[in-house]
Amino acid sequence: MLVEYSSLITLVALTAILAFSFYAVLIAGQLSLAQLGLASLAAFTSSLVVPAEPLFGFIPPLAVGIVFGMCVGIIAAFILGLPVIRLRGVFLAIATLAFGEMVRIFLINQSWTNGAQGMSFPKLVGIEIAWIALAVVAFWFWRLSGSRMGRAFAAIREDELAATTMGIDVPRYRMASFVIAGAVAGLYGVLLAYFSRFADPNEFSFTAAVDGLVTAVVGGVTLFVGPVLGSVFLSVLPELQRVLGVDAGWIRPTISGVLLLVVILFLPGGLSGLIPRRKSAKRLIIDPAARPDLPDLPAPGTELVRLQGLGKSYGGVHAVRSVDLTVAAGEVLGLIGPNGAGKTTLVNMVTALTAPSTGSGTVLGVSLTDSTKAHRLAQAGVARTFQQIKLFNRLSALENVLVGGYRITRDTLLRRLLFLPSARKWEREAVAMASAQLIRVGLGDKAANAAGDLSYGDQRRLEIARALASHPSLLVLDEPAAGMNHVEAGRLAELIRSLAADGIAVLVIEHNVRMMLATCDRIMVLNFGEVIASGIPADIARDPRVLEAYLGSSGSDADADAAAVLAAEDLARVTAQSVRDQDRGHPDAAPGGSTNESGATDLEDNR
Amino acid sequence: MRRKLLSAAVCGSALLLAITGCSTATGTDSTADGGKTGTGTGADCVIDSTVPIAAAFSLTGAAAQYGAGQKNALELAVDDLNKVGGVTYELTVEDDATDPKQAIQVFDTFVASGASIIIGPTLSNTAKQTDPIAQDAQVPVLGVSNTAAGITEIGDYIFRNSLTEDAVIPQTVKAAVDKLGVKKVVVMYSNDDAFTESGYQAFAAALKDQNVEVADTLTFSKSDTDFRALLNKAKQSDADAIVVSGLIDAAVPLVSQAREIGIDTPIIGGNGFNSPALLAGAGKAAEGVIVGAAWNSASDNEQNVKFIADYTAAYDAAPDQFSAQAYAGMQIIDHAVRSECSAEREAIKTGLGGIKNVPTVLGDVSLNKNRDAVHDALVQIVKDGKFTILN
Repeated sequence: MLVEYSSLITLVALTAILAFSFYAVLIAGQLSLAQLGLASLAAFTSSLVVPAEPLFGFIPPLAVGIVFGMCVGIIAAFILGLPVIRLRGVFLAIATLAFGEMVRIFLINQSWTNGAQGMSFPKLVGIEIAWIALAVVAFWFWRLSGSRMGRAFAAIREDELAATTMGIDVPRYRMASFVIAGAVAGLYGVLLAYFSRFADPNEFSFTAAVDGLVTAVVGGVTLFVGPVLGSVFLSVLPELQRVLGVDAGWIRPTISGVLLLVVILFLPGGLSGLIPRRKSAKRLIIDPAARPDLPDLPAPGTELVRLQGLGKSYGGVHAVRSVDLTVAAGEVLGLIGPNGAGKTTLVNMVTALTAPSTGSGTVLGVSLTDSTKAHRLAQAGVARTFQQIKLFNRLSALENVLVGGYRITRDTLLRRLLFLPSARKWEREAVAMASAQLIRVGLGDKAANAAGDLSYGDQRRLEIARALASHPSLLVLDEPAAGMNHVEAGRLAELIRSLAADGIAVLVIEHNVRMMLATCDRIMVLNFGEVIASGIPADIARDPRVLEAYLGSSGSDADADAAAVLAAEDLARVTAQSVRDQDRGHPDAAPGGSTNESGATDLEDNR
Repeated sequence: MRRKLLSAAVCGSALLLAITGCSTATGTDSTADGGKTGTGTGADCVIDSTVPIAAAFSLTGAAAQYGAGQKNALELAVDDLNKVGGVTYELTVEDDATDPKQAIQVFDTFVASGASIIIGPTLSNTAKQTDPIAQDAQVPVLGVSNTAAGITEIGDYIFRNSLTEDAVIPQTVKAAVDKLGVKKVVVMYSNDDAFTESGYQAFAAALKDQNVEVADTLTFSKSDTDFRALLNKAKQSDADAIVVSGLIDAAVPLVSQAREIGIDTPIIGGNGFNSPALLAGAGKAAEGVIVGAAWNSASDNEQNVKFIADYTAAYDAAPDQFSAQAYAGMQIIDHAVRSECSAEREAIKTGLGGIKNVPTVLGDVSLNKNRDAVHDALVQIVKDGKFTILN
């Protein structure tokens, strides 16, 4: 009964394998069209090595072909990846498309492939082999999806920069996804050739690449069954129309096209979006015993950051000039200054997102140079948040924090493939660690929500939880209180103090000066890229240059607020001081007091 | 939960298999023998049940322009043959969408549905993937447009009535040498197409046989449209003629541009040039193009005249060689069915093996021991805006 559809069912499996090859790159946010080129290279070269008789009497010829084809796919993908892996989006698509064309033209001009007339292959692949191969591939991606590697791919897809600062070596993982895709493409090429008994290089064309991409996208890339669903949908459509008696001709591709459009329009996540997402990654593990044993943080007072004359200039513009700075474990260092003072540039240099132009610096033993990679610094123990929130929006809150735990977790893919108990234990540890951080920032009840759906303040806190999940020695917070109300900001200040008490060094940029004065051990003030003041909060509040800087800024509301807070602090201090002075009969404070008072008056005028 | 999901996926796949399986439960039984063998032979043959004929053509996709004509002509042929009486054919035409994967599924369906014979597919490279399926299932196949080498070698159930490039091109080259005194040529061909590449190989062999000097061999891509650089190079070699193996998409610009830069030697084309589109597209530039053909549209063969008239009346367009070959294919099948007076696959296979000088719109057609077509090819030259026989 199945005879009539045996080819269809086989082709569903083969098309799904091709779609998995696209899936492998899409889950890491890459759009590669090289898959068909890799497949055709594998198919044709395999014909050179596949023996007619079983090798050594027991290795079937097809197994030789599959192994060889996958190796060809891996090697070709790796070589192609070397130059193109740093390309993004449409540029990567074009480069990989060019590769596919190159392979096609190369194979057409080879005599051993019989050129455009194609070559014949023995029929070695049937329905069983195709589905077994698909099952193996699907199994791989299923086990991948919950592993650390799978989370790293998802993080890269959602936000490459944020992924880097979690300690993920983005180019390496992109290459890994490329190579996995190459292996799957090679498998597809060999299986297809030995199923259809004939292959010519023109079959592995751009159109075929687009078909594969469409299959992967229609199926969806958020769940490992996506490619299978896409393949079933697209392969069965023409057959279904045939069975339903739709006349052969233009009407069939039109109906298929319309249905495809409907799926794309109404199911942005593809067909796999119809399947409710797994719940396991949404459940918190609050058992403290499940948490991993983590290495101790540096002893309080240990110097973690030392910058000497660090500067950054863009052309003639000096964003940061010659900054000296040290941060010790267990202290909270605040960085304030008006808009455009260079605060973010400075912390970008500290986290190695920006290379310094001048000066030198050492962060957690890693020196800051042009070639220092952000992920290396992150692995050394630096975690950060961003001024513009950079969460992995389509991942759940818990998953975001799990990615943050990249540094302190171990890769579980190989163990997951074998269902080793250690994989489960390690995954539990990672979830327990992430859960603890979520609860610590007060998001325990929102673990299952997609990060993009959270409120602004929650997103800020989630970013902090994600940074904390890496068990950092140095935590860099870039405007963590932005968008928070007083109550929330107060809770944040408490959190920061408690982190410092745990021994974490916290470097925080914030416009909320009141909170900074209350929270920080030391404060450094930047204006026009220069340090204009540095010291304990009380001194900073008293420093006239700081207020001037804020008043002189062309300024945002935040700057004006900061000035108001500083002025108010000043007024309080001056009043208190003059009272004290009067008590002691000490007249010296008068000039300083009058300057500050006039400052405050200016401020009033300003408003 | 994961495990539940996996089992859901597995159940889903199983369900799909079951559904596809069940939906085909009907119809597959017709492969069983019975009622398909009639009485009498030849013109007297009477078969009670209808004879299922299945055809896979490229109705959509890149080769749709050929498939449409094939479908039309086949439907016309079945209508005409059903009027004769005795044997009633039931035609099913399916679309392979110019995609070998689709074609494989179509062939599977045909094999399972009990078709007595399968006609098609349109393209040779598709045939190389589909015909083994029919061969394995012992269903005869008649190719009506496959001209590449290696099709009938697939097996003893595979036949074709389309002349191969190897059959037509030597005649074309010989005529050019004999009638026009061609001694030195430049050869141009697109090397990324199966059809034109095998055409080139046939040309190269024929030119060698005829001791024609090949001054230069130039290649282009089937998607190219600007040939001026190549043609300038060809012009410098001062050849008596230019030999081109290309598809019609290349033929029109190539011929026009050759005349534009002052090449007025004859241009000898392969089967790709054998299309009314060349005359329409290249206009006066097409004058002097020589092309071999399997079908002479100007033949005064009675069947042919009637075919052209009927086809034009039915479809409001003139038939091309693909249509004529499809029509002739059905005539040959009719002959094979009646000679054994049976719609059994084996009987049709035997009948096709015995096709000798069957009169068709292509002229008298035989199938040789390699199951390839044997009939007169003709060599045409474009003269006064028309294909006329070269003499």
